[in-house]
Amino acid sequence: MSMLMIGSLFGLVTLLLMFSGAPIAFALGATAVVFMAFFMPAASLDTITQNVYEEMSSITLLAIPLFILKGAAIGRSRAGQDLYAAMHVWMNKVPGGLGVANVFACALFAAMAGSSPATCSAIGSAGIPEMRKRGYSPGFAAGIIAAGGTLGILLPPSITMILYAVAAEQSLARLFLAGIGPGVLLVFLFAAYAVFNYKREFRRAQTAFATHGTTSSMLDREDFSMRQKVEMLPRVLPFVVLLIGVMVALYGGFATPSETAGLGALLALVLIAVVYGVWRVKDVAPILSATLKESTMLMFIIGMSLLFSYVMSYLHISQGAAQWIVALGLSKWLLLATILLLVIILGFFLPPVSIILMMTPIVLPPLKAAGFDLIWFGVLMTIVMETGLIHPPVGLNLFVIKNIAPDISLRDIIWGVMPFVGLMLLSVVLICLFPGIATLLPDQVMGPVPAAR
Amino acid sequence: MSAEIQPGVPVGLAAAPEPRPASEVDPATPSMLMPLAMLLVRVNHVMVAFGMVALLAASAVLTSSVVTRYLFKSSTDWQDETAVFLLVGATFLCGAFVQSIRGHIGIEAVSSLLPSTLDRVRLLLVDVLSLCFCALFAWKSWTLLHEAWVDKQTTSSSWAPPLWIPYGLMALGMTLLSLQIAVQVAASVRRLGSRQGAT
Repeated sequence: MSMLMIGSLFGLVTLLLMFSGAPIAFALGATAVVFMAFFMPAASLDTITQNVYEEMSSITLLAIPLFILKGAAIGRSRAGQDLYAAMHVWMNKVPGGLGVANVFACALFAAMAGSSPATCSAIGSAGIPEMRKRGYSPGFAAGIIAAGGTLGILLPPSITMILYAVAAEQSLARLFLAGIGPGVLLVFLFAAYAVFNYKREFRRAQTAFATHGTTSSMLDREDFSMRQKVEMLPRVLPFVVLLIGVMVALYGGFATPSETAGLGALLALVLIAVVYGVWRVKDVAPILSATLKESTMLMFIIGMSLLFSYVMSYLHISQGAAQWIVALGLSKWLLLATILLLVIILGFFLPPVSIILMMTPIVLPPLKAAGFDLIWFGVLMTIVMETGLIHPPVGLNLFVIKNIAPDISLRDIIWGVMPFVGLMLLSVVLICLFPGIATLLPDQVMGPVPAAR
Repeated sequence: MSAEIQPGVPVGLAAAPEPRPASEVDPATPSMLMPLAMLLVRVNHVMVAFGMVALLAASAVLTSSVVTRYLFKSSTDWQDETAVFLLVGATFLCGAFVQSIRGHIGIEAVSSLLPSTLDRVRLLLVDVLSLCFCALFAWKSWTLLHEAWVDKQTTSSSWAPPLWIPYGLMALGMTLLSLQIAVQVAASVRRLGSRQGAT
C-alpha cells in the first residue's frame, strides 16, 4: 500500500474513532494499535506498553499532576476572592478600574494556578456579580473574565507549554520565559479594552440619565480609605510571595521545572493551611481527588497520544505529511498562517493537549525549514489555542462562566467575549511583527539560543 | 472520601453525560457481576487514597531534592525516579476510578445528532472499543512485567531501581480499568436489552 493510502486511512480511522465519542485517550490508543497490527512488524504490538511507559516516564511530563495540584489548592481556597477584593480596592480610582482590576486579578491568579477554568471560576464568582452591581453589561463582565482566564495557559507554569516543550524538544524554562512578554501584552490589551468599553457604557448611562432620568449604578461613586487598602494586603502577599519564590527557584538555577512543580504544590498546600486553615483531611482530600481526576484523564490522553505519534512516525506518516507541506512551496508567512488556521480549526474539537502532541511532529519540520524560531512559534500556538477556550463550539471558559452566572445568556457571553478573541488575534499579529515581545526576555535571562538549534 | 466536582470547574472538555457518585453501583449491572462491581467501588476508593498519598509524596520528594541540593550542594538521582514511579502509579491506578465516573473525556458532538436508541448503541460500541483496547494494554503490561521480573531489569540510571515496580503499577491499573469498563458494558447491554424487550 502506498504512503499516501496509509496516511489517508490513518487520518480517516482517527477521525472516525475520535468522533464516535470514545474517550480521546482510548480512541488514539486504539487507532495506534490497529495500525500496528496491520502495517508494522508483529513484534511491535508486544512493546506498546513499554513504549507508553518510556515516553511517559519523563519527569517533565509527570510534573503536570503536581502543577494541577498547585492550581487546585489555590483554586479551592478563598485566595481568588481575596486577590480580587484587593485589586478592586486598589484600582478604584482608575476609570473602568473595576474591569481592569478583574483583568489583573485573573492574570495574577492564572500565573499562580496555571489553569484557565479554575481562574474563571475563582475570580469570576466574585468579579462578575460585582461588575454587574456596578452597572457593567452582563456580556462585558463575562467577556473580561472568560478572556482573563485564558491567560492561565500563557503565563508560567502552563501545562500546554510543558507539552509543547517536550514534543518540540525545546527548553521548558526558556518557553516559560517567552510566554511572559506576550502574557503582559495581552493583559495590557485586555485592560485597555476594559477601560475603553467602560467609558462607552458610562457615556450611555449618562445619556440615559440626562434624557429619561434613569439612574444607573454605573454613575455611583465609591471610595476606599487608605486603611481599607492596607488591610487587604496581608491576605494577598503570601501568594505573591509564592509566585515570586517559585520563579526565583526556577530561574535562579535552584530547581528544575519539575522540581518547581513539587515545591510549588507543597508551598501552595502549606499556604492555604496557614492562611485559610485548610489542613484537615476532609478539607484537603477534595483538592487531591479533584487533582487526580483531572490529571489522570490528562495523563492517559498524553500517554496514548505519544503512542499515536510513535506509530505515525514509524509509518512515516508524519514525515510524509511534513514533506508534503514543504513541497507545497508556500511562502514563509502563508505557511505560518495556514498552520495557525489549522490549529484554530482543531481547537473547535480537541483540547490543547491532543492538538500539540498530534500536530507538532507534522508542522515543526516545515516551520524549522522556513527558519522560524520554535520557541516563538510555541508561544503563538499557545495564544491561538487559548482562543479556542473562549469561542464556540467547545469554549470551555464560556461554560464555566455560564455555570457561575447562570442568568447571563450564552449569547450575551459569546458576544461579550468576541472583542477579546479579536484582541488575542491582534496580539498574534503583533508578535509576528515584533518577535522580540516573546524572545527578548528569554534571550536576556538565558542568553541567545545556541546556533545549533 | 468525597467525589464531588468543584462547582464551576468542569474537569474536562465535555461534561460527562451523567456523573454518578463513585460510591454507587449502576443498578442495571447484571446480578452475576454485582459482587465484582461492588468490589471495584471499594478498590477504587483505596486506589484514590493511594493516589492522594502519592501526589503528596512526589511533591515532598521533589522539594527535598531542591533543599538538599541547596544545603549540601550534593546532587542525587533517586528523587526524580521516585517521583516518576509515584506519579505513574497515581495515574494508572486511578484510571479505573476516573472511568467509573466517566471522567475520560471524548468528543460528544454526535450524541445530539442521533436518535436516543441509536445513541445508546453508539455508547455501547464505544465502550466495547475502549474495553478491547484496555484489555490488550493490560495483557501486554503483564507480559512486560513478567519479562522485567525474570530478567531483573532496572532503569538505566546509577540508582537503578527495578522496573517491575512501575510496570506492576501499570499492569494492575490497566487491569482494574478493563474490569471497570467490562462491568459498565455489561450494564449497558442489559439496559439496552430490557428496553428493547419492553417496546
